[in-house]
Amino acid sequence: MTAPRLRSLQLRLAVQLAALFIIGSAAIVGVLVWRAYDTAGTLADRELSLRAADLAKYVAPASDGTPRLALPAALRDAYGAAPDADIFAVRASDGRLIAALPEAFGSVVERWPATTDDPSYFHLPGLAGKTQDYYGLGISVDSAVGPLSIWVARAAGATALVHSLLEEFVLDIAWVIPLFMLLALGVAILAIRSTLRPIREVSEIAASIGPGATSIRLPQANLPSEIVPLVSAVNRALGRLEQGFAVQRQFTANAAHELRTPLAIITGALENLEPNPEVGKLKVDVARMNRLVEQLLSVARLDAIALDVSGTVDLNDVAHQAVANLAPWALAQGRTLAFAGADRPVVVSGNAYAIDDAIRNLIENAVAHAPPRTEVTISARADGSVDVSDHGPGVPREDRERIFERFWRGRAAPAHGAGLGLAIVAEIMKAHGGNAKVDTGPTGGAVFTLVFPVR
Amino acid sequence: MLRDQQAGLNVRLLVVEDEVRIAEILRSALSRAGFAVDAVGLCDDARAALAVNPYDAVILDLGLPDGDGLRLLKDMRAQGNAVPVLVLTARDAVEHRVAGLDTGADDYLIKPFAMSEVIARIKALLRRPEGALGALLKSGNIAFDTIGRDLRIGETVLVLPRRESAILEHLMRRAGRVVPKTVLEEKLYGIDDELGSNAIPVHVHHLRRKLMDRGATVEIHTVRGVGYLLVDGDA
Repeated sequence: MTAPRLRSLQLRLAVQLAALFIIGSAAIVGVLVWRAYDTAGTLADRELSLRAADLAKYVAPASDGTPRLALPAALRDAYGAAPDADIFAVRASDGRLIAALPEAFGSVVERWPATTDDPSYFHLPGLAGKTQDYYGLGISVDSAVGPLSIWVARAAGATALVHSLLEEFVLDIAWVIPLFMLLALGVAILAIRSTLRPIREVSEIAASIGPGATSIRLPQANLPSEIVPLVSAVNRALGRLEQGFAVQRQFTANAAHELRTPLAIITGALENLEPNPEVGKLKVDVARMNRLVEQLLSVARLDAIALDVSGTVDLNDVAHQAVANLAPWALAQGRTLAFAGADRPVVVSGNAYAIDDAIRNLIENAVAHAPPRTEVTISARADGSVDVSDHGPGVPREDRERIFERFWRGRAAPAHGAGLGLAIVAEIMKAHGGNAKVDTGPTGGAVFTLVFPVR
Repeated sequence: MLRDQQAGLNVRLLVVEDEVRIAEILRSALSRAGFAVDAVGLCDDARAALAVNPYDAVILDLGLPDGDGLRLLKDMRAQGNAVPVLVLTARDAVEHRVAGLDTGADDYLIKPFAMSEVIARIKALLRRPEGALGALLKSGNIAFDTIGRDLRIGETVLVLPRRESAILEHLMRRAGRVVPKTVLEEKLYGIDDELGSNAIPVHVHHLRRKLMDRGATVEIHTVRGVGYLLVDGDA
């Protein structure tokens, strides 16, 4: 089930586009978030470095010559205010602690090596008196008392701003990206569908092409330009096939036509021979061949020229005549024919010869399948139909469609007949805008019905 | 065979057919059936033959090398020649030339045809009242004298009631072919003005009985809904 489905161009494109869009939007959002955090980190670094430089400015030698940090009141308040305020520690180049806020931080940095000109980063979990983790950097800064080691750190919670900014970004802006991609996917699928629609239509037309309808060509209008060469190539191939078919039909017609004279000669010559069983069998064989040639000609004629069905035909009359014409032959085969006409003319549009041919084929078929000494009944009905019913074995339900196909022969069929008769009937009826069908009669025999459109 | 030869003793047929083998076979089959046969292959030869000999019937193939058989037929009729003509034609031609066939030909057969059918059709043409075999109708072992109105079955001779003999006459004129019930009704109308709907079947029943009782080789079959046909069981 999966393999043929994936062969659908539409589905394949949709799946691949969807995959691309999912990966693409994930990558874009990911990069954006990473960049945001990176920028936030850089900004924090810069700020902490500036803090360190700021602190260094306020370090000056005291009256006794020891370096001291003299923070302006406002700044000191700022550092000490909140429980998660920034912390700092300043150490002199000789390792002595100059100042630290809170004091605990000072006792931590006392154990740390001196800083360098490049900032060194640290993570400080669980500082005494503080609930949050601290992240910070240590850097060497020049001051009035020589180089100092300054550590500045900020509570982890202080990055909440960045988080909220990102949250805002994701909620307000980033969701647009997958949505946009979803829309793009939808547009792509719609575009594919509308591009493929003419192809579907073309394939429906192609499905109706058969040996009986070779003149159909696939329309090239509205097709995607990529498909047009294929379709026009198919059309050219159809043209060549049609030509081949025409040659074939002409050949069949000519062959059947040419066979008639030698067949007539053989038929006549056999009848002039002294009767004996072998000659009798040969006569049956030749009669079969005559019938086959006649049917081949009928088929070739039906194929070659459109039947003129513009005449006015009384089905009652044609069926009556057909029964009268075939009754002697049927009697010779040991079967009788009976006719049940409508009580008034049954007038339809059509070709009397073709309708006669159709009825004749049905009668011949019925006589061939009916048991000896039974009656085949032909009925013309006022509703514009003709029935031919026999007392034979009937037609199995599964064969009722195929029985009208050319050269189809049922399993139960006697070995005579080429399987053309009923195909001729079906084609004649098609030309009349009607149809031929078979059903089961009350005795289980076959009932063939020719249904003509009502005038 | 002997019977047929006697029957056709004085009957002369013209076969107009350009296909040599078919002409040969027609000639030999018709000769064996007791007819005298002349065969020609061209329209001109046919005209010449028709001018010289009074034929009882003509078998005419339509496609001839030097002209159209229908043209020849039309000329014959224009000259007042009423000889019965059986046309041999291809099936496809029937549909296109049916008008021509209707006006000139007495009957036509579609190729390929069975020789027995040609003979049966020719006999049917000759059995017409004005035909060469129209006075004494023969079939199997029965013979009906249309003038004397007596029926001979084998060696026995019997006289039928008027209606039965009228029915038998028409069945015998068209022996081997179905005679519609309506045609028989028309024929009987002059005899029996008060024709009941059951009259024909009753007469046929009696007729059948008489034929069977006297050992006739012919049988009258019923084609329900259409009519009746007389078949020579020995043929």
